[in-house]
Amino acid sequence: MDETILEIKDLNMVFSSGKSKVHAVDNVSFRIKQGETVGIVGESGCGKTTLGRCIVLAYKATSGQVLYHAADGKKYNIQAISKQKLRSIRKEIQMIFQDPYSSLDPRMTVFDIISEPLRANYKKIPKNEMEYRVQDVAKKVGLNPSYLKRYPHAFSGGQRQRIGIARALILYPRVIICDEPVSALDVSVQSQVINLLMDLQKNMNLTYLFISHDLSVVEHISDQVGVMYLGQIVEYASTDLLFHNPCHPYTEALLSAIPLADPDTPMDHIPLKGEIPNPSNLPSGCFFHTRCPYCQERCIRERTSLIRLDDGRLVSCHFAGKLPLHGIQAKVPR
Amino acid sequence: MTSNAKTVLDIKNLNIDIHLEEGVLTPVRGVNLELQENETLGLVGESGCGKSLTCKAILGINSQNCKTTGQIFYTGKNGERKDLQRMPYGGKAIRAIRGKEISMIFQEPMSAFSPLFTVGHQLQEIVLLHVTKDKRAAKDLIIKSMNRVGIANPEKRYQQYPHEFSGGMLQRALICMGLACSPRILIADEPTTALDVTIQAQILDLLSELQRTSGMSILYITHDLGTVAQLCDRVAVMYLGKIVETASVQEIFHNPIHPYTIGLMGSIHKIGGTKDRLFSIKGSVPLAMNLKNRCSFYDRCIYRKTNPCNGPEPGLTPVTENHYAACYLPQTSLKEVN
Amino acid sequence: MNTEISIEMPTPHSNKEQQEPKGKQTEQEKYFMASQWQLIRRKLMHHKLAIISFVILGVLYFGAVFAPFLAPKGLEEYSGSYSDAPPTKIHLYHKGKWIGPFVYRYKVDRDAFENKIFTEDRKSSYAIRFFTHGKKYKLLGMIQTNIHLFGVEDPNPKADEDPPQILLFGADSLGRDLFSRTLLGSQVSLTVPLLGTAISFVLAIIIGGISGYYGGIIDTIIQRIIEVLSSFPTIPLWMALSAAIPAGVPVTTVYILITIIMSLLSWPGMARTVRGKFLSLKKTDYVMAARLAGVSNANIIRKHLVPGFMSYLIVNLTLGIPNMILGETSMSFLGLGMRAPATSWGVLLQECQNIGNIANCPWKLIPLIYVGVTVLAFNFLGDGLRDAADPYK
Repeated sequence: MDETILEIKDLNMVFSSGKSKVHAVDNVSFRIKQGETVGIVGESGCGKTTLGRCIVLAYKATSGQVLYHAADGKKYNIQAISKQKLRSIRKEIQMIFQDPYSSLDPRMTVFDIISEPLRANYKKIPKNEMEYRVQDVAKKVGLNPSYLKRYPHAFSGGQRQRIGIARALILYPRVIICDEPVSALDVSVQSQVINLLMDLQKNMNLTYLFISHDLSVVEHISDQVGVMYLGQIVEYASTDLLFHNPCHPYTEALLSAIPLADPDTPMDHIPLKGEIPNPSNLPSGCFFHTRCPYCQERCIRERTSLIRLDDGRLVSCHFAGKLPLHGIQAKVPR
Repeated sequence: MTSNAKTVLDIKNLNIDIHLEEGVLTPVRGVNLELQENETLGLVGESGCGKSLTCKAILGINSQNCKTTGQIFYTGKNGERKDLQRMPYGGKAIRAIRGKEISMIFQEPMSAFSPLFTVGHQLQEIVLLHVTKDKRAAKDLIIKSMNRVGIANPEKRYQQYPHEFSGGMLQRALICMGLACSPRILIADEPTTALDVTIQAQILDLLSELQRTSGMSILYITHDLGTVAQLCDRVAVMYLGKIVETASVQEIFHNPIHPYTIGLMGSIHKIGGTKDRLFSIKGSVPLAMNLKNRCSFYDRCIYRKTNPCNGPEPGLTPVTENHYAACYLPQTSLKEVN
Repeated sequence: MNTEISIEMPTPHSNKEQQEPKGKQTEQEKYFMASQWQLIRRKLMHHKLAIISFVILGVLYFGAVFAPFLAPKGLEEYSGSYSDAPPTKIHLYHKGKWIGPFVYRYKVDRDAFENKIFTEDRKSSYAIRFFTHGKKYKLLGMIQTNIHLFGVEDPNPKADEDPPQILLFGADSLGRDLFSRTLLGSQVSLTVPLLGTAISFVLAIIIGGISGYYGGIIDTIIQRIIEVLSSFPTIPLWMALSAAIPAGVPVTTVYILITIIMSLLSWPGMARTVRGKFLSLKKTDYVMAARLAGVSNANIIRKHLVPGFMSYLIVNLTLGIPNMILGETSMSFLGLGMRAPATSWGVLLQECQNIGNIANCPWKLIPLIYVGVTVLAFNFLGDGLRDAADPYK
């Protein structure tokens, strides 16, 4: 189980329009082990969605590698791969989208939507086998097979998201990139979908990259969590470590801002100064220094890079491990 | 609530029907709601439960195809009780109250401002309408108000256009507009949903501080139980056009009674809690059309019994003091579920 | 710990209830299984004006298809004495006796200013008959026949007199039946726009599609060309182009050339619509999902993009037709469109260039009503389609 399945190495993605350049993903490196869930959290515009899309090659990254350890035991760099090879690898890496309304073609029946990947990849698949597989995967995600003839407009958000999940599963992938899969759903439906994703992971031995801005959902589902700020990963650690004992001031600030569903533990958030800097005009030194409550002179001058601490986590801070930072549990006994 | 608290807003038996080609939609069905002076009331529910329509009905800003019946009593500063619902649609009477006595802030700060005018100009408009006709006085008032909501450098910000503001700043500006005329009631319709966590925390702080200092009442609409726990004094849970449970925030979170509230509480993950499967309410919210006369949560309820739950729809009844629920089989604790 | 306890508690009671509203269920099920086009049709059916317009257009096109049969006269049949004759009255009582619908012959006098004065000659009546024999024609271009739906016949014709006529819309300055000519003219006026839009439709899909799908430099070039094309003032350009058609070419060639000229000038707008839709659909999550699933580009275009903008395009087409009708009419009115012996509504209206003609023979404006009704009908239909085009809102 300790095998690496996906390695992201020095990934950079720069969008340029005219003179302004936006570094959406900045030197991101991490690895995902098979069967685990890696959560990526960050505020809007931090580059988490772009990162996910680079991994599935929806975008061609500016530089860097995405190494995929395929089922056949070989390593492929998804960012530089031949077209034929890409076809076979795409089957193994699929994606679930945020908006269950725009991610399903309203003009196709649910059956056609779910079976589309099959038809695209297996030209000569017999009809009854296709039907069997679609029904099988529909059952797995909790869709009534008699609904397959319907069109998406017949379904609510949660059911639509199940259809999207079924489409991602039909090729029996090994890795699924979940891009905010529950943020567009109602609270009571969110938990249904999260449960479903966790069940599927157990039963089908899936690996998730779970992108979300909702920290409590990420805490629930992830084994490892990466925190992104302005295109960089500022902290990457196992979930418990990161939430209870953060080592980056930004992580601490994020955690402190989560509104706990408990009226007896008042939120005591660390107010960040100012606003997220314009990504096309990045600050000097540590990107976070403009808002960091622990900022020192060195932070303004010197760039940071990810360093590994003794407990195995990666932090991008000059004073990693030396700051008195509080995690979630520090709030409870007050 | 203490007994001598004054009720500023009293909604009685509010019904909203929308006539569509497919039939009659009944998104709000007999809502009774009281907002006391100086309290923050959270109106919680999922999309389509009618919470937004209820609040828009207070200001009479629902579109005209929403047939609204019932009464909405507003008690003004001088103690005069007026039925907002009986004021003519878009008439002078209701317009004198909108913005001045009761103001509203919206979910999308970006779309609440026109990109063509400076933020200052748009903020000033409301003051010119209700408070003073003097432009310089209006500007002074706005700048003071901008300071209050934490907009740094208000003189400069006053001249800027909405696109020069970030989302959080714009939401502050919107709150500033809502507060400019020192209203007695602020209706906040999901004011933080479109914002990032850190900004959300700031806005929540701001709202609770403003409420403390100005003594106004806030009607806070949201689907996010986390923010409710942090901000509200009292909570009303809405499901399918009805208020199914209302109590103080402590009561709601520690002793939820209605199965729907219990389900909602169970389905949010608590950080540091177990990593087991989350509790989830089965099915999804039905469309508010052709509803049967029985408990609206019947289909999704795990505690239901054919008798009495399949009977006529239960009304809001007191279970303990100041804790009301619309359920025949009030549940005692969350623990039974988990 | 399984917290999702007793998700299903199917008591017999609840099962019975789920089956209870059977009629409603099937209606709802129908809605759930309705494809895009079925949803559009449903919505369109609620648009009364669009439906009425659709019926009117149906009648007009039916008239065009069966024009030679419905028209009592041929295109070029004339009788000199009936020039500028007003519409004939249809009578039922002859000398106080009911004898069914009939017409009187016109008596032509001249007043002091040499203007023709038509009076009815009430001596003898001429019954309106159905399925009369008249000028030979080919129905639907295949069946050779000379039967017309209705007409009047003189039982004992005299050589020195023009035969009695039924002129529903009066006659033109050469004594030709305006009703017959309007019907026959609609064959041109109603088909040129259809054919023209069909051509621009194909051009728009191909050029707009290429522009939207490939983007980049190709897109830029095509967009610039479109901008240049749409910056020309239309009427002068039409005039220049149609003036270039040589005099001696046969009618069919003129027809085709006119159609091509019309469509050449209307595709740029449509191509832009296609491109815009293409670009926005290309960015949707479901297209991204298809790409990630390994669906080929051709299939993405065929399965997702084209069906996605087809409904919008049809709206655009419908709303573009009136422009073409007006364009063809104005060109023909100016004498630059269809030429004799072919006729269109615009050609018929040429006579109205003379103000005296309108004052003395107002019935010559009747083709204008046809133009107006057709244009309005297409606009209303397009309006209804536009409201129905996106049933997923």
